[in-house]
Amino acid sequence: MNRKITIDPVTRVEGHGRVTIHLDEYGQVKDSFFHIVEFRGFERFIQGHPYWEAPVLVQRLCGICPVSHHLAAAKAVDQLEGVDPKDLSPTATRLRRLMHFGQIFQSHALHFFYLASPDLLFGMDAPVEKRNVIAVAVENRELAIKGITMRKFGQEIIKAVAGKKIHGILAVPGGVHKTLTEEERDYFLNGKSIENIDTMIEWSQAIVNFMKDYHEKNRKFLDEFAAFPSGHLGMVNDEGGLDLYDGKLRAIDSEGNITLDDIATDLYQEYFSEAVAQWSYMKFPYLKKVGRENGWNRVGPLARMNMCDFIPTPLAEKERQDFIAFTGKKVNNSTMYSHWARLIEILHCAEVIKELLHDPELMGNDLIRKGTPRLKGIGIIEAPRGTLTHHYEVDEKGMITRCNLIVSTTHNNDAMNTAVRWVANNVISRSGNITDGMLNQVEVAIRAYDPCLSCATQAMGKMPLHAELYNHLGKLIDEKYSN
Amino acid sequence: MSKMINITIDGKSFQAEEGKNLMLAAKENGIFIPSLCYYEHIEPPLGTCRVCTCKINGKFGPACTEKVSEGLSVAVNTPELMDTRKALVEMMFAEGNHICPACEKSGNCDLQHMGYELGVSSTRFQHLFKDRLIDFKPSRMVMEHNRCIKCMRCVVDVTTTDGKKVFTYQNRGNETFVGIDYEQEARLTDEQALNAMKVCPTGAIIIRGVNQSEPFGDRKFDLESTQKDYNKKPVLTKRLVAMEKKMVATVSLAGCFGCHMSLLDIDTELLDVIELVSFAKSPLTDFKNFTTRCHIGLIEGGCCNSDNVETLRLFREHCDILVALGECSVWGGLPTMRNAIPLGECLEEAYLNSVTSEAGNTIVPYHEDLPKMLDRVYACNEIVKIDYYIPGCPPDANHIWKAVKNLLWGEEYSILYSEFKYD
Ligand code: SF4
Ligand code: SF4
Ligand code: FES
Repeated sequence: MNRKITIDPVTRVEGHGRVTIHLDEYGQVKDSFFHIVEFRGFERFIQGHPYWEAPVLVQRLCGICPVSHHLAAAKAVDQLEGVDPKDLSPTATRLRRLMHFGQIFQSHALHFFYLASPDLLFGMDAPVEKRNVIAVAVENRELAIKGITMRKFGQEIIKAVAGKKIHGILAVPGGVHKTLTEEERDYFLNGKSIENIDTMIEWSQAIVNFMKDYHEKNRKFLDEFAAFPSGHLGMVNDEGGLDLYDGKLRAIDSEGNITLDDIATDLYQEYFSEAVAQWSYMKFPYLKKVGRENGWNRVGPLARMNMCDFIPTPLAEKERQDFIAFTGKKVNNSTMYSHWARLIEILHCAEVIKELLHDPELMGNDLIRKGTPRLKGIGIIEAPRGTLTHHYEVDEKGMITRCNLIVSTTHNNDAMNTAVRWVANNVISRSGNITDGMLNQVEVAIRAYDPCLSCATQAMGKMPLHAELYNHLGKLIDEKYSN
Repeated sequence: MSKMINITIDGKSFQAEEGKNLMLAAKENGIFIPSLCYYEHIEPPLGTCRVCTCKINGKFGPACTEKVSEGLSVAVNTPELMDTRKALVEMMFAEGNHICPACEKSGNCDLQHMGYELGVSSTRFQHLFKDRLIDFKPSRMVMEHNRCIKCMRCVVDVTTTDGKKVFTYQNRGNETFVGIDYEQEARLTDEQALNAMKVCPTGAIIIRGVNQSEPFGDRKFDLESTQKDYNKKPVLTKRLVAMEKKMVATVSLAGCFGCHMSLLDIDTELLDVIELVSFAKSPLTDFKNFTTRCHIGLIEGGCCNSDNVETLRLFREHCDILVALGECSVWGGLPTMRNAIPLGECLEEAYLNSVTSEAGNTIVPYHEDLPKMLDRVYACNEIVKIDYYIPGCPPDANHIWKAVKNLLWGEEYSILYSEFKYD
């Protein structure tokens, strides 16, 4: 109980995310916190800059999903030019969508294969040497090659339209600055230089099947681990179907009751507020009308599966049906199902990419539209990790005067804290000391949300966690770094 | 045709037209003299940047203001001159706030181009981070004073149809800046305004509503070097056999993780790499402590809080070679945009004044479990000694691995012009 593990300062400083667990006098968990320890200040330092520079500038918030930031900013900037999504040229819309789906495809592949798969393949108590993609590559070379190739495919899509795999440029105010040539398109279809899109669909289906198989064997774990009720938020199209690029905001509570009824995205500030906690640089958004306590929502693949009426591509829709069948169509509040949901989205992305590649509009030459300039622009997009909001206000000369960003992971802040609390209460409580396996479970719970702390900090899915155990007098009685 | 005369450049004899500008005479003979303010049609040449400094008949002087005459002897590529010119360009980067990744002239910028040509990967001078004006007042253009290198091109070359000047120098010494006559600026024709933007070698003059960004590969300085013999190092032909396995550590400090993503972009080659290297402490593995000494540490991001500084110091302690990877670690990168702004203002904007802030419940986080924020963002070499720099936002995957392999096994390599970038 009073054992104190020595802090090796090496890991301490790696802590972009940090967990502290506080116990009461009976050894029960009283409190736990997931601290986000990084702050950037984009909202302020972007002020005074011309708005048309925003899409390239703000994508440097994050190198894991820069495309989402590039496009959310671009959607906002379009409005400053007086161009709404429906006014964009068909070619520009298709190219942006292609880039976005390429991005989600690569990001989900990255998360599943590089970050999450060791937990699923080797178990939560696997020794530290095994908990990485390298061990996956050594033990399961074929799976690793598939994962790497899938991520590469998404990256290549991005490069084809944006010129660079990371921090490229496609979107400019009112459209895009480049179209796709036939040759560039065929690269993804003919299978000569890289595996083609049909193979991507096939592999995506295979990985969904892998997950279903896993589900069959580990259903109890998936059902129960870090499960808790919460609201779910995401974007849907006019028919209520999943739309990752544009649409309306919808939220449901843990029972499936509508809490946000398909509102236009530019109304977001009427419905959302953000709380701040002393102990974290990441804010806590919630639905004003539901209130701080219950108004927070999960976002990302699991939330999207829960709140959409259908997925508009056939293979992924079939998988969604299977997915919701397991909960008897009730809202799925089990954290670990995020992985399954993510893989269904991979399949959806591959299907959409195929559709887009066969669409002749993709290679058109009508690229930029103009409208009547406005002073406010709000761009919302479903990033790989969930609903992402960029909001800019400008003066009549085009200078940014205000900026508000709500990154996807921020919405999941409460959810991740709740997940940590779950592990603390169910795994750590009363034990009096922390084992390696327990700590990894804290990470597994957080990792399911694929938190991109890069947007507020810069750790990846596998965050170096630092857990501290306090007694009821506030005295540190145990602490451990997760390796 | 005018008379041909004989000149000597770096000990070799050449012929040139008498009275010709030395820059042009050298160019015609295939010799590259770096330059920034020189613009063929501006006569007399401005001679403001000094990037063309050579040794002319034994004396240091700008090549762009020199006319060739019989027997002229010029030294262009001595190590001393090359370093002096490089220092001059580094100074320009340090003096202004040049954030290439955020600049729409990137790829078409002469300053950036000179940086590539001279192999500038980091600056030996401390960056100033002055709070400079971005002037939105002109009716046609936005003047980005952060990017102005005071070359004077616009002052001399931009006039209205009736010959009125639009730009003037104001103040003196390092307080000099380019003032704008707003009245005259409003009288420029569209063409003249566009020309002003083109005349400016950097992204300082931006015309509203004209997007300058062009697709990668189409930009002026994307693919080919101006120098014939750019970076001619032998290209690796054989794979070294029985290479000793090496330990690599990586970390992301105040960066965006893009550099780590770029590391992964070698794709399936990663499977070859992991035969040769083991990843120790890294966000890509679950090792969070240094359990062994590492041959190389790859650092992404600069330092914006006390944790970053501490981590960086530990990397220095535990790694034989430290590589600063990406603009953020090399120069502080885009996060340094906050350096000209008081930290308090950044915090207030994010937590107190945001449109989604809670009414009546606005606090700025402050807690013992949060690291202390630094007054500004620091480049890694301001904290510890860095052995090698790879600029780029992020650097190209090939560039990273070629450099790393070279550092680990001494493999010869050649970074292509297209792989060496700041944006
Ligand atoms: S604005 Fe451009 S052209 Fe004018 S002095 Fe500055 S860098 Fe030179
Ligand atoms: S250099 Fe660019 S890619 Fe690398 S961490 Fe900084 S912003 Fe991200
Ligand atoms: S090019 Fe000669 S001084 Fe600038």
